Amino acid sequence: MEADTVLKAENIKKLIGNYEILKGINFSVKKGEFVSIVGASGSGKSTLLYILGLLDTPTEGKIFLENREVDFSQEKKLAALRNRKFGFIFQFHYLIPEFTALENVMIPMLKVGVDLKRAKEKAEYLLERLGLKDKILRKPYQLSGGEQQRVAIARALANDPILLLADEPTGNLDSVNTQKVMEIFQELNSEGTTIVMVTHERELTRMTHRVVEIKDGEIVKETTPA
Amino acid sequence: MKGNFFISLRLFFERRRQSVIATLGVVIGTVAFVVMSSMINGFQKYFLEEALNINGHVKIFVESTFREDRILRKVYKEGIFLVLGAKPKSVKDRISNYREILSKYAKDENLLGITLHLVGNGVISYGVKEKPATFVGIFPELENETLKISKYLVKNNLGQLERNKEAVILGIKLAEELGIKDIGKKVILLSPNGTLHRLKVVDFLNTGITEIDKSRVYLHIKKLQDILGKPNEVNEVILKLKSADLAPVYAKRLTKETGYRAESWQESFKNFLSIFKIQRIITRSVVFAILLVSGFGIFNIIMMTVLEKKRDIAILKAMGYEKRDIIFIFSLQGIIIGVFGGLAGNLLSFEILEWLETIKIGVEGIIRAEGFLLDRSISYHLQGFIFAVLVSFLASFYPAYRASRFHPVEVFRSGS
Ligand SMILES: Nc1ncnc2c1ncn2[C@@H]1O[C@H](COP(=O)(O)OP(=O)(O)OP(=O)(O)O)[C@@H](O)[C@H]1O
Ligand SMILES: [Mg+2]
Repeated sequence: MEADTVLKAENIKKLIGNYEILKGINFSVKKGEFVSIVGASGSGKSTLLYILGLLDTPTEGKIFLENREVDFSQEKKLAALRNRKFGFIFQFHYLIPEFTALENVMIPMLKVGVDLKRAKEKAEYLLERLGLKDKILRKPYQLSGGEQQRVAIARALANDPILLLADEPTGNLDSVNTQKVMEIFQELNSEGTTIVMVTHERELTRMTHRVVEIKDGEIVKETTPA
Repeated sequence: MKGNFFISLRLFFERRRQSVIATLGVVIGTVAFVVMSSMINGFQKYFLEEALNINGHVKIFVESTFREDRILRKVYKEGIFLVLGAKPKSVKDRISNYREILSKYAKDENLLGITLHLVGNGVISYGVKEKPATFVGIFPELENETLKISKYLVKNNLGQLERNKEAVILGIKLAEELGIKDIGKKVILLSPNGTLHRLKVVDFLNTGITEIDKSRVYLHIKKLQDILGKPNEVNEVILKLKSADLAPVYAKRLTKETGYRAESWQESFKNFLSIFKIQRIITRSVVFAILLVSGFGIFNIIMMTVLEKKRDIAILKAMGYEKRDIIFIFSLQGIIIGVFGGLAGNLLSFEILEWLETIKIGVEGIIRAEGFLLDRSISYHLQGFIFAVLVSFLASFYPAYRASRFHPVEVFRSGS
């Protein structure tokens, strides 16, 4: 195994009932990569991403995180790994409606035990970077869809994850906001953040290093955009 | 941990409407608990305190042992006898060794005092009115040292019994029923022997306990001995102990050691005590029902919150929050509701009790009082608070537990 592999999936299968959603996926991400996963609806993209992010358990197969095998039987350890190693971004922002933008970004840091003052400073810094400087005290409903998604990105970055996992992050956004989010991803990636993004918008894959195509639970093609 | 506190508190204060409603439920439960406990216990404590003050803790008396077949029994040890036409005869009806009892127990470490009575029944009349009464002959000073009777005398004229041979003290309700409103009036005492005696009312006994105030008449023991034709006789010895709880033990011991029947106040007030017990059970049931309802309110509100916040809980779990964090966050809401509700409920019930104390209404039942008799013990406030927190915690625990079991992937899949 190469030293700069952040995450590696080995022969991942996922069965629900008799239905095999994933049929033996082999996949790895190197440090600094920006990978996109594409495929038709129902091909198993989200399922794969959940397993890569340790949110779901594979029926068969192994996940190596920084070259160490993940033990799916230890819930507490999985939670700690999710907290420290991953940042999640979904199609829907899933911001907590009662909390301000600032507080939403602070949440992952509070779990690690960062004190309130430091968490606040860092959340402010992240939101500022994402162009939300004057909106940090707004509640989610006081923000536009694009702004909400940027808050969610800031939250995903809160604990300096080694890997950012995004499931259709622009699925709910207009073209202007989609463009903005993609620019943010590119900027983060150029600064060293490793990203795996699921999308069904082909043109977005042009901004990534590698495109993995899934069909019926199998990887059918891997390409490198020009 | 600190983070969980932060999240829980923020949720509590942001969801103001639910929080206030749930807290109000707890306030009502706490108020019901504190106020009702204070009222019911106040009444019961007052009754027992006054009753024990005036009646003592243990009474040694002569038990009627008259048996119709007692002479036959001397000859035939076995068999069942039916005696027809037996006439009640004067049997042993005095405590002959009271001096011994006095000297033997006077030094007992748990004893506060002993007093001697001669008790008899008769009728008292004033003008055309007649009422049955219980005559108690006392040594005024000894009685007062032991039972603090002067505390209950309206005119504080206990000394008159000593000075004036004709003096008599009437229970205030008895006096009222006879139509006597002032001291100095002459009454006629009709003894069981049929003799009549003129006495002068020097004071009224007002204990607040209707049964006593309605029947009791105090005289000097010498006078009553004269009236009843029982010179130097005593038929009741009353003991006052350091602790009311010791009474049953002493009663048992005294029955064995004196040869007379000794009865503890718990036995004498058996009927009242069982009524009190039922009162307490009813009060507790009502309070329990109220607490249950407020607990159910909390359960509902937290359950709704949890279901409404499924996605937020899923994202918390995705971000690394564990089951126990989720349980903590939501059951802490319950505890916060309990703490606020308990505090506010205590404050409110304190105010209500203060107000109730100022209310003047005539209460007349087994006791007479000018208003509510409240037991203002801090322990009801403490208990109320503890119950509030406990109920709220228990009510929120299951919803919190349910929340902790949500699987993020399932929520994300089902959630829009
Ligand atoms: N819990 C489940 N029970 C039954 N079938 C499931 C379950 N979860 C997923 N599936 C099925 O697995 C397949 C893959 O689902 P998945 O969500 O991974 O697809 P996807 O590629 O992300 O699709 P989309 O682009 O529409 O999001 C689908 O056919 C879906 O119906
Ligand atoms: Mg999907």
